[in-house]
Amino acid sequence: MNRRSVLLAATALTALPRLPALAQGAPGDAIRPLVLITRPQASAPAAYQAAELVAQEWRKLGLQIELRPLPNQQMSQVVWYERQRWDATMWQMVGRPERGDPDEMVYNLLHSANIVTGYNFVGYSNPEYDRLAEAQRSEMDQARRQQIVREVQEVVNRDQPYAFLVHPVNLQAFNKQVFVEGSAVNQAGLGIRNFWNWISLQPAGRQRDIIVNSTEPVKATNPFYVSGAPDSWVTDLVWDRLMRVGPDGLPQPWAAETVTQPDPLTIDCVIRQGMTHHDGTPVTVEDVIFSYEAPGMGDESPMYKPFVQNIASVTAVNDRTVRFVLKRPDAAFRIAVLAKLNIVSKRIWAPVVADYLNRPQNLESYVEERPIGSGPYRFVRSRVNEEVVLEANPNHWARPKADRWIMRIILNTEATLGALRRGEINVLADYFGDPDLVKTMARQLPAMIAVREEVDIGFQFIGMNLRRAPFNDAAFRRALSAAVNREMMAGAAWNGQAVPSNSMVSPALAAWHDQGIAGRVPGGNLDGARRLLQEAGYRMVGNRLHYPSGVRETTTPYQ
Amino acid sequence: MKRVLGRLGHAAFVLWAVASLTFIMFRLMPGDPTLNFLSESFSEEMRAALLTSFGLDKPLPEQYVLYLGSLLRGDLGVSFLQKKPVLDILLDALPNTVALTVTALVVAYAFGIIAGAFLAFARGSVTEGIAIPAALITRAAPEFWLGMILLAWLSFAWGIFPSSGANEAGSEFTSEWARLTSADFLWHLTLPALTLALYLQGLPLLLMRATMLEVLNDEFIVMARMKGLSRWAIVMRHAARNALLPVATAFALGLGSSFGGNVVIETVFSWPGLGRVLVSAVQGADYPLAQGAFILIAAVLVTMNMVADLLYAWLDPRVSVGARR
Repeated sequence: MNRRSVLLAATALTALPRLPALAQGAPGDAIRPLVLITRPQASAPAAYQAAELVAQEWRKLGLQIELRPLPNQQMSQVVWYERQRWDATMWQMVGRPERGDPDEMVYNLLHSANIVTGYNFVGYSNPEYDRLAEAQRSEMDQARRQQIVREVQEVVNRDQPYAFLVHPVNLQAFNKQVFVEGSAVNQAGLGIRNFWNWISLQPAGRQRDIIVNSTEPVKATNPFYVSGAPDSWVTDLVWDRLMRVGPDGLPQPWAAETVTQPDPLTIDCVIRQGMTHHDGTPVTVEDVIFSYEAPGMGDESPMYKPFVQNIASVTAVNDRTVRFVLKRPDAAFRIAVLAKLNIVSKRIWAPVVADYLNRPQNLESYVEERPIGSGPYRFVRSRVNEEVVLEANPNHWARPKADRWIMRIILNTEATLGALRRGEINVLADYFGDPDLVKTMARQLPAMIAVREEVDIGFQFIGMNLRRAPFNDAAFRRALSAAVNREMMAGAAWNGQAVPSNSMVSPALAAWHDQGIAGRVPGGNLDGARRLLQEAGYRMVGNRLHYPSGVRETTTPYQ
Repeated sequence: MKRVLGRLGHAAFVLWAVASLTFIMFRLMPGDPTLNFLSESFSEEMRAALLTSFGLDKPLPEQYVLYLGSLLRGDLGVSFLQKKPVLDILLDALPNTVALTVTALVVAYAFGIIAGAFLAFARGSVTEGIAIPAALITRAAPEFWLGMILLAWLSFAWGIFPSSGANEAGSEFTSEWARLTSADFLWHLTLPALTLALYLQGLPLLLMRATMLEVLNDEFIVMARMKGLSRWAIVMRHAARNALLPVATAFALGLGSSFGGNVVIETVFSWPGLGRVLVSAVQGADYPLAQGAFILIAAVLVTMNMVADLLYAWLDPRVSVGARR
C-alpha cells in the first residue's frame, strides 16, 4: 500500500461519521439571529423571566436569540401594525367572563380571516382549522361542539402557531372575620373576583361593605364603553344583562327569565317581571331592544358594535318577550352577546344617541353625572386613582348581601397586603406580587385570611411570526415549542402560581378543554426538539443551527 | 412694572414651548392611543372610528392649530381614555397634590431652616458630626425606600397610620374643603408628607447652614456679639434673617418642581395626585391628559420661578438695582 492509498483510506475513515449528513447534502444557510420581543422586566417580571428561560432553551438548539424588551405601547405597535417585521413575541390573553365560551379564542385568534388586521397577528392560515373554527361557531348541539373544539385544539397542537406557556393561577384572599366564609362564590377561570361573589358575600358582623383592591383605576363608567378590566367590574354590577356567565362558566338567564331558541337563527328572551332602573322607571322590552340597536348605530360604540353585527333584527313579540333573529347561527351568542351587552334606559339614552349621531365624538364621550342602570348595585361616585363606591340596590330581585361595594385603587403590592392585614380592604382580588407573602399571612392569621386559587381562563404564549422563515416551517415551530420547559417556567417565573399550557382553551373551562393536551406537545422536551429539527433537515454546524439543505436565509433581520 | 411685564412675556414663551414640545413628543412616540383597545374584536374599522373620535385623523399641522386654539381659550381638551374634560381630571387631583407638596415643603423648610441655623452655630460639635451625615443620608436615600420603611414601621407593624389612599374607604364629605380639612384626610396625609419632608429637608438645612456660616463672619454679627446679645437673639434675629434669601428662593423653586415630581411618593402611598395622573396618561398615550398635566406643572413651575425672582428683588433691593443698571 503506497502513501497515497493510506492517505485516501484515512480521509475516508474520518468522513465516515458524517455520511448520513452528507447524504442529505450540504447544510443550508445559518439561521439569522432571532429576536424575541417581550415586555420590560419592570412592567411584567414573570413574563420577562419566562422569556429569558425560553431564550436559554432555544440557544441550546443552536439559535442566536436576542431578547428585546419594549414598552407596552411600542410592543403592540410593532406586533399589530408592523406584521412583516418581527420574529417572535411574548403575548398574553387575560381571563374575562365572556371568554368562558371558547369561540372568542378559537375563532378570532387563529382564523385566517383575521390575518391582515385582526387578532391573528402571527399569520396562521390553515383551511382545516378555519373549517373547524367556523363549524364550532354554528354547531348548536353541545356535545358535537365540544368534540369540534377538541379537534381544534389538536390541530393547533400539531401546527404550534403559538408556543403556549402557562395558564396563570389567580391567587385571591378575603377576610373571613368580615364575611361568612361559605358565602364566597368562586367562578370558573376567574376565582372570587366575579359578579356572583359581589352579590353573595354575606357580612358576618358590623362591617357591611365589600372593600376590594384594584391595581388599575376605573377610567369610565359607561354602558357603551369599557377601557379596561376594572371598568367592566363596575359596569357588570350597575347594569343588568339578559344573561350572565354563571359560576360554572356557562350562560344562565338573568334579566331574561327564560331564553329559548326555536330555531338556530331565532332566540326569544322573556324579560323578568317588575324590574326597575335605578331612577325607579320600569325596565321595558323597548329598553332591551334599544340596548341592542344603539351599538350598531353609526360608529357610536366601536367597542360593542362587533357584537351586534350578527343580529338581523330585534323586535318585541309582546310586552315581555324580545325576539332576536340572527344572520347566521352563532353558538356563542348567549355568552358573547346576551351576557355582554348592558341593558340601558331608552328614556335616558335615546336623546343622547340622537345628539351624538350629529357630533364628531361618539357615544363613548358621554359622561352620565350619576350612571343609571338596573343592576344589583347603584353607582354612588368614582374618584380616579382613588376609589369607586357603589351601594346595594334594595329593589333588585337579587339584592346583594353587603351594603356597599368599594373598589380601592392601590398600586403598591406591599401596601395592598398591609391594607388587607389592617382591614382597610377585605377582599384581595387583584394581586400580582409574591404568592408566598399571601400564603404566609394566611398561615399567620388563620382566623382572618381565607385564600382562594383558581386557574385563569387566560394564558401566556409566544406568538411566532409565520410570515417569516424559519417560523413558516411547522417542524421548526414544533421543535421550539418542545424545547420550552413549562413546568420549570411555572415554578421559577410564576412562583408556582401557574400550570403548563398547550391550548387556547384553559383547563378552567372543563367542558371545552382537551384534558392532557399540556403533556402532548410534539417532541416533548429539549432532546425531542433536537430530534424534530434533525428529522426536518436542520443541521448543527459548529454551534449554529442551519436551515435544511438548499435553503437560503433571505429574511431581513428585525432591527 | 416693565420688569414684571418682561417676566410675564418670558413665562408665556416658556408655556408655548412646553405646549408645542409635548404636542410633538407624544405624536413622535411609537404607538398610538388605539392600541389601548386591542382585543379579539378589534378591527381596522374600529381603529378608524377611534382615530376620528380622538381627532387624530386630521393632518398634524391642523391638529396643532386646533390644539393651540383650544389652549388659548383655556380648553385642555377631553381625555382619550376617561372621556372627561382634562381640566376636571386635573382639578380633581390638584388639591391632593397641593396638600401633600405644601405640607411636606413647609415641614421640611421649617425644620431645615432652624436645624441649619443651629448647626452653623454649633460648628465643630458632636451634634454637627451626627446631624450632617444624617441629613445627607435622608437626602440621598431613594424616596420609595424611605416610604417603604415608614410604611413597614408606622403602618404595618405598629398600625398607627393607614397604608394607602387619601381617605378611608367610602368616607362621605359635604364638600371638597370638608374633605381636605377632615381628621381622616390629615391622618392619611401624615406618612406621605413625612416621607417627602424627610427627603426634602436636606437642601434647606445644608443651604441655611452654609449661608449662616458666611453671615456669622460678617461685621454686624461681631457687633451684635460685642453688644452682649444672647446667642439665640444673634442667630434668629440677625443672622438667620440675612441667611434666608437663598433658602426662600429654593422654597419657591421647590414648590414648583415638587408639583410634578411626587410620582414615587404617590405610587408608594397610592396617593391620588397629579403625578399618578401624568404617569397613567403617558402610559396610555392619552395625549390630551398628558399634555394638560405637563402644561399645568410647567405653569406652576414658571409661576413659582417668577415669584422667586420677584421675592428676591423684594427681599434684597440690590437685585432690582442691579437689574436697572
